[in-house]
Amino acid sequence: MALIELEQLRKTYHMGEESVHALDGVSLEIPERQFVAILGPSGSGKSTLMHMLGFMDTPTGGRMVFDGKDVTHINVTQRAWYRCNRIGFVFQAFNLLPRLSVLDNVLLPVVYSRELENKKHARERALEALERVGLTPRAKHLPSQLSGGERQRVAIARALINHPRLILADEPTGNLDSKNVDRILSLFGQLKEEGQTIIMVTHDLHVSSYAQRVISMRDGQVEKDFLQTPRLSGADAVAAGGRL
Amino acid sequence: MSFLSGIWNGLRELWAHKFRSFLTMIGIILGVASLVTMVAVVQGLFRNMTIFFEQSGGIELVRVNDQEVPLEQLNMAALSPGRTGVDAVAIRHAVPLAAAVAPEVSIGWRNVQYSGKRMGVRVTGTTGDVLQTNLLEIESGRNLSDLDVDQASQVALIGSEVRDNIFPTNEDPIGKRITVHGLPFTVVGLIKHYEFMQGGRNALRWKNRNVYIPVSTAQKRFTGNEKLTGLAIRAVNADSLGDLVSQIENVLLQTHRGVEDFFVETREDQLAEFKKLERSFMYSMGSIAFISLLVGGIGIANVMLAVINERIREIGVRKAVGARGVDIFMQFLAEALVISVLGGLFGLVLSFTLVDVLRDFVPSGENIAVPGFALAIGFVFSVVIGLLSGIYPAIRAARLDPIDALRYE
Repeated sequence: MALIELEQLRKTYHMGEESVHALDGVSLEIPERQFVAILGPSGSGKSTLMHMLGFMDTPTGGRMVFDGKDVTHINVTQRAWYRCNRIGFVFQAFNLLPRLSVLDNVLLPVVYSRELENKKHARERALEALERVGLTPRAKHLPSQLSGGERQRVAIARALINHPRLILADEPTGNLDSKNVDRILSLFGQLKEEGQTIIMVTHDLHVSSYAQRVISMRDGQVEKDFLQTPRLSGADAVAAGGRL
Repeated sequence: MSFLSGIWNGLRELWAHKFRSFLTMIGIILGVASLVTMVAVVQGLFRNMTIFFEQSGGIELVRVNDQEVPLEQLNMAALSPGRTGVDAVAIRHAVPLAAAVAPEVSIGWRNVQYSGKRMGVRVTGTTGDVLQTNLLEIESGRNLSDLDVDQASQVALIGSEVRDNIFPTNEDPIGKRITVHGLPFTVVGLIKHYEFMQGGRNALRWKNRNVYIPVSTAQKRFTGNEKLTGLAIRAVNADSLGDLVSQIENVLLQTHRGVEDFFVETREDQLAEFKKLERSFMYSMGSIAFISLLVGGIGIANVMLAVINERIREIGVRKAVGARGVDIFMQFLAEALVISVLGGLFGLVLSFTLVDVLRDFVPSGENIAVPGFALAIGFVFSVVIGLLSGIYPAIRAARLDPIDALRYE
C-alpha cells in the first residue's frame, strides 16, 4: 500500500481578481521505502506540494491520503500531530534553535509529542539518532559551534527522533559545499536502504540524481515521473571501484 | 509543551538577555515595591491611630457634655441643676444598655506627695466604673468601691507614673498614705502600666499619670458643690449605641427638668472620619502604585511583542516539528510570567529596604512593618500583570502561520 496518495490535489491562491493555481491537479502515489526527488524551477509548485505533504498547508481541492487515512480536511491540531509524529523536516537553512544544545535540538520534536512511545527513552534515542549521523561527540555543543554540514546532520537527527513515516527535505543541500552535499545525500540514500521514506524537493538536477525516483513539476502539474538508478556517493563509487 | 518546561525555557531566555530582561523588570520591581511600601506605611500610621482610639475608650464610649440652653428654654434655664451625681445614679438604674457610668469631677492638676517626694498630677473624682469607661486595669490593690463613694472616703487609685515618681523603688504603695493638695489619702489601688512607643515617646503616657478619688470626696473636699465636670458612659455593645443615646437623653431630660442643657456625644463620627481618611490614603497611594505596576506591565507586553518579532523563525521551526498553537501560546505566556514574577519577587525584597529607610523619616515610623497580606497582594499583582501583559503577544505568536514564519528573514 502506498504511504501517500494524492488525487487531483489543488491549491489555488486568490490575489484580488486573479487566481493562481499553485497546484493544478496533482495525482501521485508514493510507496514506502522510496527516495523521491521533486524537481522543478521556482514557481513550479514544488514548495506548495511539499507544504501539503508536510501538513503545513491545506489543499483547496482534491484528496490526500496518508498511511491509509484521508487527511484532506483535518484540522490545525491534527495537522500539528502529524507534523510531530509522522513527518520529519529537513530545511535548507537547517533551522536549529541557537539557544539549545545539539542534543536539545534533536529532542525538540519529543517536547511536542504527546505519544507515550515517543516520550520513552527520549535521551537514549536522541543519542542514537546523533550516532546515526555521526555527531555523538557534538551532543553538548551549540549549533553555532558546528559547521554547515554538521548542522544539517543535526537537523536530520532531529527529523529522525520520533521515527517518522516520512522525511521531507526542502533543498537540504542548498547551503552546503559539494563535499557536504555528497555526504548529506548519501546519508539519505543510506536511510532509504534502512527503510525510510524520503521526499526531497530541489531545483538541482545533480542533487536529484541521488534519488531513486524523480518527479518533475511545471506550472503546478506533474511534468515527468520516472524511476532511475540512483547515483552512488563519492565514497561508494570508490568502493565499487572498477566494476562501474 | 508543559507549563513547567515553558518556565524553564523562559528562565533560559531571560538569562540569555540579562540586561534587557532587567530593564523590562524594572517597571514591575518598582511597581510592586511601591505598592507594598505604601500599604505598609499607611497601615503603620493608622495602626497607631487605631490603638489610640481603642485605648481612649473605643467606639462604645459615650460622653454627656454641657451645651448652651436653647433660646426658647432660656426662661427655664435656672430649673436645671446641670450635670450632677444624680444623673449618674439615674442612668445607672434606668438605662440597661449602659454597661458602666462614671461621673467625673475634675479638680485639675494638684500636688501629690509621699514622704517628701512630689509631682503635679491630674486628680479626678469618679466611681469604680472609671476602670470600664477609661479602659484601665488594677495592677494591685482594689478598685474604688460604692462604700468609698457613699462615705466620701479619702482613698485613691494611682497610676504607675505617680507610683514611680513619688514612691521609692520596690516600695509597695498599697495602704500608704499620700497627700493630695495637702489632704491625706490612702492608696487602695495601683493602675497597670500602659505603654505604646511612638516616635520615642509613650503615646499612652496619659493613662499612667492619674489619681482617681471618690466623686463624693472630690465634691466635698475640693469643689464644694454637686456639679460634675464630665459624665462617661460605656455601651454594652457598639450595635446598641443609637438606643443607648436616646435612653440617656430621656433620663437626663427628667433629671434636668426638661431643660436641654446637655448633649450626648458618641465617637461614631470620629471613627467614620478616621476610616474615611484611611481609605482615601489607601486609594490615593494605592492607585499611584497601581499605575506604576500597569506601566511595568505595558513594558513587558512591549518587549514580548519585540521578542516575538525577533523569534518568528523559531516559532516556525517549533510549529514545523509539531508544536500546536497552544504550545506556542504557553511558551510565551510563561516567558512573560517569568519576567513579571521575578520582577515581583525583587520588588518584594526591595520593599523591605524601602520600609527600613522610611522608618527614619515617617512620624512614628517604628510601628511600620511590611504586612503579610501586602506581600501577598504584591505577588498576586505581579502574576496577574504577567499574565495580562503576556496574553496578547502570546496569542500573536500562537497564530503565526508556520510557512510564513519559516520564510521570515
